[in-house]
Amino acid sequence: MTAATAKKKNFFHDWLKSRKGQQTIIILAFMFIPLLLLFVFTYLPFGEMVKFSFYKMKYSTPVDKRIFVGWENYKAVFSRDDCFGAIKLSLYYMVGSILQLAIALYLATMLSFKTKGGNLFKGLMFFPYLISGIAIGFIFKFFYTRGFVFDTVLQWCGFQLDNLPYWLKDQSINNWSLVGSSVWRYFGQNMVLFIGAIMSVDAEMYEAAELDGANKFQQFMHIILPSIKTIVTLNVILSITGSLSAFDPPFVITSGKNGTGTYFVVMNEIAHTSQKVGLASAMAVVLLVIIFAATILQKLFFKYIFRNSDSDDETYDAKKRRKKLEKQQRKELAKQNGPAVRKGAV
Amino acid sequence: MKLKKFLALSMAAVMTLGIVGCGGNGNDTKKPVDKTEDGKKETEIKNSENTEAGGSEGLVGYTDIVLGETGTDITATIKVLTNRTDLLESDAKHPYQEYIDGFNELYPNITVDVEGITDYANETLLRLQGGDWGDIMMIPEVDKADLSTYFMAYGDLDSMKTQVNYLNNQIYENQVYGIPYMAGANGGIVYNKAVFEAAGVTELPKTPDAFLDALQKIKDYNSDIVPLYTNYAAKWTMGGQWDAAISGSATGDSTYMNQKLLHTSNPFADPGDGTHAYNVYKVLYEAVSRGLTEEDYSTTDWEGSKGMINNGQIACMVLGSWAVPQMQDAGEHSADIAYMPFPITVNGKQFSSAGPDYCFGICTDADDTQKQASLLFVKYMTEKSGMSYNEGGLPIAASDTAMPDFYAAFSDVEFVVDEPALAGEEDLLNALNTMSELMVNQGGDDKVMSIVENASTGAKSFDDIMNEWNQLWTDAQETESVEVTGASESVEATE
Repeated sequence: MTAATAKKKNFFHDWLKSRKGQQTIIILAFMFIPLLLLFVFTYLPFGEMVKFSFYKMKYSTPVDKRIFVGWENYKAVFSRDDCFGAIKLSLYYMVGSILQLAIALYLATMLSFKTKGGNLFKGLMFFPYLISGIAIGFIFKFFYTRGFVFDTVLQWCGFQLDNLPYWLKDQSINNWSLVGSSVWRYFGQNMVLFIGAIMSVDAEMYEAAELDGANKFQQFMHIILPSIKTIVTLNVILSITGSLSAFDPPFVITSGKNGTGTYFVVMNEIAHTSQKVGLASAMAVVLLVIIFAATILQKLFFKYIFRNSDSDDETYDAKKRRKKLEKQQRKELAKQNGPAVRKGAV
Repeated sequence: MKLKKFLALSMAAVMTLGIVGCGGNGNDTKKPVDKTEDGKKETEIKNSENTEAGGSEGLVGYTDIVLGETGTDITATIKVLTNRTDLLESDAKHPYQEYIDGFNELYPNITVDVEGITDYANETLLRLQGGDWGDIMMIPEVDKADLSTYFMAYGDLDSMKTQVNYLNNQIYENQVYGIPYMAGANGGIVYNKAVFEAAGVTELPKTPDAFLDALQKIKDYNSDIVPLYTNYAAKWTMGGQWDAAISGSATGDSTYMNQKLLHTSNPFADPGDGTHAYNVYKVLYEAVSRGLTEEDYSTTDWEGSKGMINNGQIACMVLGSWAVPQMQDAGEHSADIAYMPFPITVNGKQFSSAGPDYCFGICTDADDTQKQASLLFVKYMTEKSGMSYNEGGLPIAASDTAMPDFYAAFSDVEFVVDEPALAGEEDLLNALNTMSELMVNQGGDDKVMSIVENASTGAKSFDDIMNEWNQLWTDAQETESVEVTGASESVEATE
């Protein structure tokens, strides 16, 4: 018996040592360790949060004293004014992000052709992205303070201080002020991504287009834009998602008060000041669903927009025609082979 | 070689398994185990306290400690979490190190590590959940019923009362869980004496109307001076400071905040006699809508405000007495800074809310040596350190009577300390606050900020805001099924 186990052990040991054994171990390790980490640090906490959303609890409530309330928290998310009112504020940030992408795309196109001091401009415009969001918040708090930087600059331009609004106090304008700081921070990053994508466009294409008599705008529309559509799509999706979850500017600059409380700020307030952890978790889950929905909608939208440039060598319409033709051919083929197949089946 | 590789791999596997183990256990199995342990420990503590009375071994309880004699042989390192990050800067007038040095003269073998936390109220709540945060913490906003889960009891209220003042905050079932590091008058007004006198306000205002008139006088005297600085943008200066005035200062009733408020119907309604919450918040609304505050509230600056009140650019601010030393130190005119009670007179007499600040709580999971060392430190801080006095507070130790000079204006004013909640209602205020989201006296900055916003834009009238709050409070009372008894009282008051 001992001999048998020893032999078995030996066999296992040998297998481990063998090339195949090593391969298996490495394959398994490469598969399971990342999955484990992903599960433990992402899905498990997320699962816990979803669980919290069905309870009435505070952070300090011991586990056994949490009260199960079913869907109450979700109902509250939809019935409260402040939760969905906050989503409307995201519209400001969405408009801002469209503007931001337009600026970034414009500057990227400019800078990807030969420009004097191009690298310097790239660096200067990318720089804000490297500053932490909190620091930017403080910068802009002083920037917008009455009689400080922004007002002074505008006064140089001939504006009277009395005619200028209070940038953070006036509720009709303060959200735009915050969006401005967000655009300032992120357009450089978008621009660098666009430049990277534009670089990969074959320079011969421009030459060919020029020979064909295309002007710069036509080059942009028909060469650059289709070539970088993936990165444009990605940036738009990231910006829209980002504007749904805007947090830094309102949190630091205005504490989310005075009509600037975005969804995230309200959520933070509910979780940490009012200590309604269950409700805040439910808000987080609802936001996740909204972001999913927004992303899918955008995917569909871009699929439609870029339908004519889905493949490199044929347009959407051509593809449609080809597919139709193929289908017809297949049908005819099936008709011919029909009896034979049936025979085979029997 | 190969064996080594195998070892490394198996190590990796074991470690990841360990991680999973932690993750899995953390949620379900670990907590209950902790709880039973806590439970055991708690009973142990109670037992040891009982035996102490009999004079046998175990922890020496707070009341029995004689500083410099008890526990001089203890060697330990204790970790203290504090909200006072300003005292950890070396340029503080009385830095924390001063107290630690003093403590180490008596107990050279006990090392004290202090960690300051800027976002104290929020971060400590998370760290409590994580466990392993240290030995002494300034107790954050924890439900009273959960105090024993995290903190060790110092002893029962009656015996502790003989040695320590202002114990009414962290108590559950007659056990004391926290000892304040300082106490002070709350919801009063820090003002610049020189500005008030120059503007012709010679007598301190005692009613809301007189106060608003005084502010107007200051504005008429010099429109560059901000009569009342709201400190809106700092957030905590709103709810944290104004709410304190609605209890003792506005009612003269020590049972208002923790007992009566819970059962009062429509506590924010106008009582008609210039008192109670309605008139406290009305001062703010009126001051803002009459333009007696800074012109742009959204960009106020707390640190800057200290210097501005010191050199007379600001006339006054609503703050606790703890702020006075900071304002005095912020410039050259420290003699101009003074403190007055909130301008409300109840039946011809002025009152001032007074109460403890954050309280020292000792971790219940630490072993006995750590606990003993922590107890010694807390007792030292309370009795010998003079911290409360240095920070402009009222005396904590019952044997101590020294009061800072700027309380001179309070000679005719009665200090009102909030009584603790009645038995069985310890968590009711928390529950109502959370439910209504008004967070009265518990960091409800949003509601006070909304007063400033609405007063400025005129979007809602003051009575509309108060009706809203009354509605929220009533709804919360209904969901928590609280018996409302104050209805007749407020009717009487309006009559």
